[in-house]
Amino acid sequence: MKIRIVPRVLVAAAAALAIGATASAQTLTMAMSAQPDTLDPQVTSATAAFQVGKSIYDGLVEVDQSGRIVPALAKSYSISADGLAYTFELNDATFHDGTAFDSADVVATLGRISAEATASPKASEFTNITSVVPNGDHAVTVNLAKPTPALLASLASGWGAMLPSEKLAEGHDFGNEPVGTGPFKLASWVRDNAITLSRNADYYQGAPALEQVVIRFVSDSAVQYQGLSTGEFDIIDTVPQAQQAAVESNPALALVREPSGLVLVAGINSRLPYLNDARVRRALNMAVDTEIVLEVAYGGGTQVGTFMEAGSPWYPESVTPFAFDPEKAKALLKDAGVPSDFTIKLVLPQPYPQHIQAGQIVQDFLRDVGVNAEISIVEWGVWLSEIYGGPHDFGMTVVGHTGKLDPSGRLTGLGTDRNYTGVVDDEVANWIATANVTSDPAMRHSLYSQALIRIHDDAPFIFFGTPDRVYGKKAGVVGFWMTPLLDSFDFRAAHFE
Amino acid sequence: MTLTTSPTAERRRGLTEREVVSRYLLIQTVSFVITLWAVLTLVFLAMRALPGDAATIMGGLDASASQVSAMRAQLGLDRSLPAQYITYLSDVAQGDLGASLRERRPVVRVLVDRMPVTLTVASMAFVISLVLGLGLGLLAGLRPGGTFDRVALLFTTVALALPEFWFGFLLILLFAVQLGWFPVLGLPPQGLTLAASWHLLLPAVTLAIPRAAQVARLARARVLEERSSDYVRTARSKGLRPWAVAKHIASNSLPGTIPLLALELGGLLTGTIVVEQVFGLPGLGATILGAIGARDYPVVQGVTILAVTVYVLVNWLADIMQVVTDPRLRVS
Repeated sequence: MKIRIVPRVLVAAAAALAIGATASAQTLTMAMSAQPDTLDPQVTSATAAFQVGKSIYDGLVEVDQSGRIVPALAKSYSISADGLAYTFELNDATFHDGTAFDSADVVATLGRISAEATASPKASEFTNITSVVPNGDHAVTVNLAKPTPALLASLASGWGAMLPSEKLAEGHDFGNEPVGTGPFKLASWVRDNAITLSRNADYYQGAPALEQVVIRFVSDSAVQYQGLSTGEFDIIDTVPQAQQAAVESNPALALVREPSGLVLVAGINSRLPYLNDARVRRALNMAVDTEIVLEVAYGGGTQVGTFMEAGSPWYPESVTPFAFDPEKAKALLKDAGVPSDFTIKLVLPQPYPQHIQAGQIVQDFLRDVGVNAEISIVEWGVWLSEIYGGPHDFGMTVVGHTGKLDPSGRLTGLGTDRNYTGVVDDEVANWIATANVTSDPAMRHSLYSQALIRIHDDAPFIFFGTPDRVYGKKAGVVGFWMTPLLDSFDFRAAHFE
Repeated sequence: MTLTTSPTAERRRGLTEREVVSRYLLIQTVSFVITLWAVLTLVFLAMRALPGDAATIMGGLDASASQVSAMRAQLGLDRSLPAQYITYLSDVAQGDLGASLRERRPVVRVLVDRMPVTLTVASMAFVISLVLGLGLGLLAGLRPGGTFDRVALLFTTVALALPEFWFGFLLILLFAVQLGWFPVLGLPPQGLTLAASWHLLLPAVTLAIPRAAQVARLARARVLEERSSDYVRTARSKGLRPWAVAKHIASNSLPGTIPLLALELGGLLTGTIVVEQVFGLPGLGATILGAIGARDYPVVQGVTILAVTVYVLVNWLADIMQVVTDPRLRVS
């Protein structure tokens, strides 16, 4: 008998060693070009914070790979006929600190994001909430002052993350020590260097396959590519355009190209003479070959003709992108009485080399129709305060508007002087405001469509289009995906083959 | 830099050693406080003269104007400039550097987290520039016009003419990309560990090269000066062995490079900002650049306080070192 036991022990030890060996191979390293400012989901609007936060936190609902909103921490939900009450049945889940997730956490989380003291940049998305009422531990009803069809989208976005009520009451520092229910826990964070996440074995949807995820902050795409080709990185979130073919042709690597949620535009300041004339703004749209802009500056994408990402169910069928027609543009400019020495200040944000390059291409096209664009490059903080906000000291500027799950997020403010383009159209503003509080999906769709068609005609922007989201990975990495529109990293099913 | 007169002048006025030392410390402290105040005020005003603040940047494209002003109020940025200035100065006087607006934790924690990388790179660079600079300068100066002197001259000229990031890229290409001896990215995910400190060798060498060249130039000049002094001729004529003469020359000429070394050491801290960017190191350089971009005023001011303090301390140390190594400056 004894003789038999020994080999069994040895086998067990060998098995344990083997498991140990595979576990160490289960660390995935990803290079990310931006980095989070904080990991507290309620005090930031930075995409990078939500890209990482997706692994640490969960919301009541989430976005699946097809872009639909599906239950997550909520097992199911129902909406009252008047659209004023959302009831969520909650799943059994556990926070990283061991406490159980229940209705009190939903109450406390939504209470905090709406609280004035939190000063959340996303607070306005929750202002229609009048009360959050627990029905026992595992159900909760959110009551609204007016129908808010965008509520589910807000709850499915990174800032809808559920936080533990006990820790909220203590005033816990979620920014540096996040505690969520997510598939991974924060193991370490060295700012400007890396975040290490470790597997949450108790994850309510089942533990993820990977033992560890290391997210390295590498702003230089050339260094990212270098790391992918030497094997240092398993996934890189940006592939330099010059290297995309090399990644594609390398059998050990894979290039993933899928639509992003961005709308790239050149915003036109309609507060200025001539630019306040819709004919001139339409002429500028015709003067620029946006296909070339997308191809050269952004690595390819799909043109759009209004302020909605390509492929969106909200994109009105009747809107086609402006055709590139410099002759017609010249004629329109002449009709509008634009002088031959017309000069526009074209302000481009640093450090966004793609927008800067796009601006330079626009400058060339405008010169061909007799419009002189003077490029001025400003730092991002200056851009936000002087161009996008405040004095709006620009004639034209290039920027990308990130994807939103609900059109209200993208469109609110358009048609009013609050928008940086300053194209005031009360009807547009009204359609959007009404659609934002309309429950009936068909009605909503038609209101947004009307607005988007008018936005095409008003042309507050030169509409470039929606760029492809291009990232690279080792061919053996499977199960990793990025959330449609939100670009969050989802490592839950990721593993090596 | 220093307001004091030299210790020798003090001595001539008939002061005791203790009086000289306490006078020196008093003047140095007052000068430190004034320097710090002036630099802080400058940084305080310069940062606020930049358009945009932390709330605007955190709000990004999506936050409405009212949300941004709510954030501004929460961060205390809605108060008047003089009010912010006075509160800040009085906090600093009490040793409180405030909290980072972006990281939402005490500035001291931010500095303590980030300092080790910068200090390690700077100290490694200092040692390398000291050994390399003094060695080159001494050897070149002992045989002026010789082959070694010419090689050293070439090195110092090239090293001083080219910007330091150029050496950084060159070293990365050679040792990290081509030879694979070093990782392309500065540090492992855990940040600075004892095991990973050798990763900092390339940035340290990058930082050291131009400084070593400067030290070498000065050391060579001092050695040449010393070589032609009477006692050297006497020693040579008495048949003293060359290495013994060289030892005398070295011990008499090299202390003269200390003020320069101190300046270099002070400059290392700012020099690392560029080098940290090239090598992607998570040190104070990345911190201050990120903080300027985010308009994280308390962090920018905190790094400034740290830099000024280190700079002043290094200069004190240099003064003391000079007195220790140069017998002519000793009081008794």
